[in-house]
Amino acid sequence: MLGFAKGLGYTLKKLSEKKVTHSYPDVPYPMPPRFRGIQHFSPEKCIVCNQCARICPTQCIQLTGKPHPDPEKKGKIIDTYDINFEICILCDLCTEVCPTEAIVMTNNFELAAYSRDELYKDLKWLDDNNTNVREEN
Amino acid sequence: MEQLLQQSTSLSTVMMFAAGAVVLLLIVLGFVTYAIYFERKVIGWMQLRVGPNRVGPLGLLQTVADVAKLLLKEDTRPKHADKALFALAPVLAYAPAFAVLAVIPFTDTLHFADLGVGILYYIALSGITVLGVITAGWASNNKYSLIGGLRSAAQMISYEVPLVMSVVGIILMTGSLNLKEIVYAQQDVWNIVPQFLGFIVFIIAAQAELNRTPFDLPEAESELVAGYHVEYSGFRFAMFMLAEYVYMFGMGALVTILFLGGWLPIHPALDFIPPVVWFILKFSLYVFFQFWLRATMPRLRADQLMSFAWKGLLPLALVNIMLTAIFISYQSGMM
Amino acid sequence: MQMRTEPTALSTTISPDTGIRTEEMLLNVGPQHPSTHGVFRLIVKIDGETITEANPVIGYLHRGTEKLAEDLNYTQIIPYTDRLDYVSAMTNNYVLCHAVETMMGLEIPERAEFLRLIAMELNRIASHLVWWGTYLLDIGAMSPFLYAFRDREMILDLFNELCGARMTFNYMRIGGVKWDAPPGWIDKVKEFVQYMKKQLPSYHNLVTGNEIFINRLKGIGKFDAQTALDYSLSGVMLRCTGIRWDLRKDEPYCIYDRFDFDVPVATEGDCMARYLLRMAEIEQSLRILEQALEQFPSEGEIMGKVPRVIRPPVGETFVRIEAPRGEIGVYIASQGKDKPWRLKFRRPSFNNLQILPELLKGENIANMVAILGSIDIVLGEVDA
Repeated sequence: MLGFAKGLGYTLKKLSEKKVTHSYPDVPYPMPPRFRGIQHFSPEKCIVCNQCARICPTQCIQLTGKPHPDPEKKGKIIDTYDINFEICILCDLCTEVCPTEAIVMTNNFELAAYSRDELYKDLKWLDDNNTNVREEN
Repeated sequence: MEQLLQQSTSLSTVMMFAAGAVVLLLIVLGFVTYAIYFERKVIGWMQLRVGPNRVGPLGLLQTVADVAKLLLKEDTRPKHADKALFALAPVLAYAPAFAVLAVIPFTDTLHFADLGVGILYYIALSGITVLGVITAGWASNNKYSLIGGLRSAAQMISYEVPLVMSVVGIILMTGSLNLKEIVYAQQDVWNIVPQFLGFIVFIIAAQAELNRTPFDLPEAESELVAGYHVEYSGFRFAMFMLAEYVYMFGMGALVTILFLGGWLPIHPALDFIPPVVWFILKFSLYVFFQFWLRATMPRLRADQLMSFAWKGLLPLALVNIMLTAIFISYQSGMM
Repeated sequence: MQMRTEPTALSTTISPDTGIRTEEMLLNVGPQHPSTHGVFRLIVKIDGETITEANPVIGYLHRGTEKLAEDLNYTQIIPYTDRLDYVSAMTNNYVLCHAVETMMGLEIPERAEFLRLIAMELNRIASHLVWWGTYLLDIGAMSPFLYAFRDREMILDLFNELCGARMTFNYMRIGGVKWDAPPGWIDKVKEFVQYMKKQLPSYHNLVTGNEIFINRLKGIGKFDAQTALDYSLSGVMLRCTGIRWDLRKDEPYCIYDRFDFDVPVATEGDCMARYLLRMAEIEQSLRILEQALEQFPSEGEIMGKVPRVIRPPVGETFVRIEAPRGEIGVYIASQGKDKPWRLKFRRPSFNNLQILPELLKGENIANMVAILGSIDIVLGEVDA
């Protein structure tokens, strides 16, 4: 009987205690600086080294480069860059290997979409996704 | 009310009766709506959550929205279910739950039928609900609901015995089965004091009768998914839920009347508070206790449940009857 | 024992006294059942409410991690290990890194070792809290679940700050860890340890003393030490039978040998013993954490010297560590390439689950839930 009483006492005490619920959609939930949300990609920094596509464990990154328009300069510039967010697992490896920090993480995590097609993020979308960009990568 | 019931039957009196019943039904539905709301709120607070707060101010319309959803939902029936019984079961479960309320006196003047055998009527009718539960379990043609139905049959029948036995002490003391007279007999001291043992047995057995934690085996979510009403949806499911909460209303009222002195004030000096407020207060206390238990207790196992009823509660109830009988005989100078 | 997937024929008996015919019944529990902790399926043959035979069916969450790993280089496999035992991803991260490091003979910097250990022990507490909450939910009490998840949330927030994810951490790397502790993090962990120490007794107040709870667990799902060894059980499932075997003590890895802690052992071998052991393990984890946080080096490297491309030498290795659910092991066969030739996980949940049909025989349905819960499985790990 003592066990019952102790348990009942515990729950009764909790009745007036401070609640821990976040009012999440009403109040935005702040994520710590290292949080891994969806990537931001800046095409001007990319050197088309292909490392991100190679390290990706789920092969969700596809990119193509084209020769530099200025014939004086060597190397390539990025032409298309797509991340298939249906299979991206946000493992952070692409941002880790990128030598120029062309691809970085952001804190944006509200990614629900009505159509699977919307989860196919192309270069423009990733370039425009430039809010809450992570400092350390 | 009383004069009404004495009148000869005519169209107008029948209409009056019907209107009275509808009003009570509405009150009960209102109670159920807000009992569910408060249950969710209280349990939410105990679990450090805020509970429903989105629909309407403070979430007050949450249950209304839920019920509306249930009513609008498609009424599904498994292909191989027994059509007739499947439809009958919710009615069987609900009708007696509502019928028992006819004998409950809320105050001195506010009551419906004033039956001489009020308590007997309550217990007899509430026994019918178990039929609805078994029927539901059987008719659904689902193994989980069958097990749930059988469990609740075993449980409700076994716990009815100690439930009735625990009341016998009060009947002996009062010398009446009439609920009003039982309240009048508590003018000096509430039954909870002389009948404390009976009270404990009654509370536990009532818990099992209501299929509520820690005796919620028939619908044990983690074992039987939802027990006997696993195949029910929409309005039929709502009927089962309604029956459960209306029984809680009935049982709360019964506990208040039998043990907590009904509408009587806690001290004669507090007489200025209207009796119906006293009734509601005591009644709410019991309902809160239900929610509190639900937030704390784990569930018993079926075999432990049965042995507890027959080996624990029943002997206790019998001891209570014995003690009461001896005490009364002693008082009246027979010993 | 022969493994069956199809149940045997149902038997019918006619009672000699009453002439009533009774029939056994097949009950399909799962894969969508609230207490199978995921997509586990159990086909039980019941006679009334008594189980006469139980056939587990697994594989609903099979993703072929081991086969996939053969096409991935070692760094790429780490995120996949997060998804095995997703309740305790840190230990999974560690075991893979540890295996590769053992093969290559890498030196791990001190600070990285400390960070790994703190992460693993925090994760052990988080994992046990999930177990505690869900187990009580199985038993029928709903509040403990929320209390446990509130406290686990604090650990997940700590992890979120440390590595940017709450469940699938991908925190450890071969040769070290990805992130150093952010400023002030160690103090936050210290605070949490103190908080958790206060919280534990209240858990016991709420649940452990409850008479209904004790009656539900005492003497249920009992087995002895020999059975446990025969089924190659590990972790709490082994220690509840009186065998003192904890790899943190017996085959120290990481830097566990530097800390002072006990290995809780019980001899009853029933669900209650397993419950108490897991609760005691939280206490011991807190003890380890306290010492580790005290000795945490103020500075240092977090990555060792690792070649740019990780190519373990030709050969094979097997390492094992103590995960919250038991011994998790990795077998790697390498042919000197950057990808494993064969990779095999010894998943404790999978091994521990083998004993279930044996334990369920003759029990009733309510006990089934109690026993299954006390094994503490995570389906991501069982099905790999």
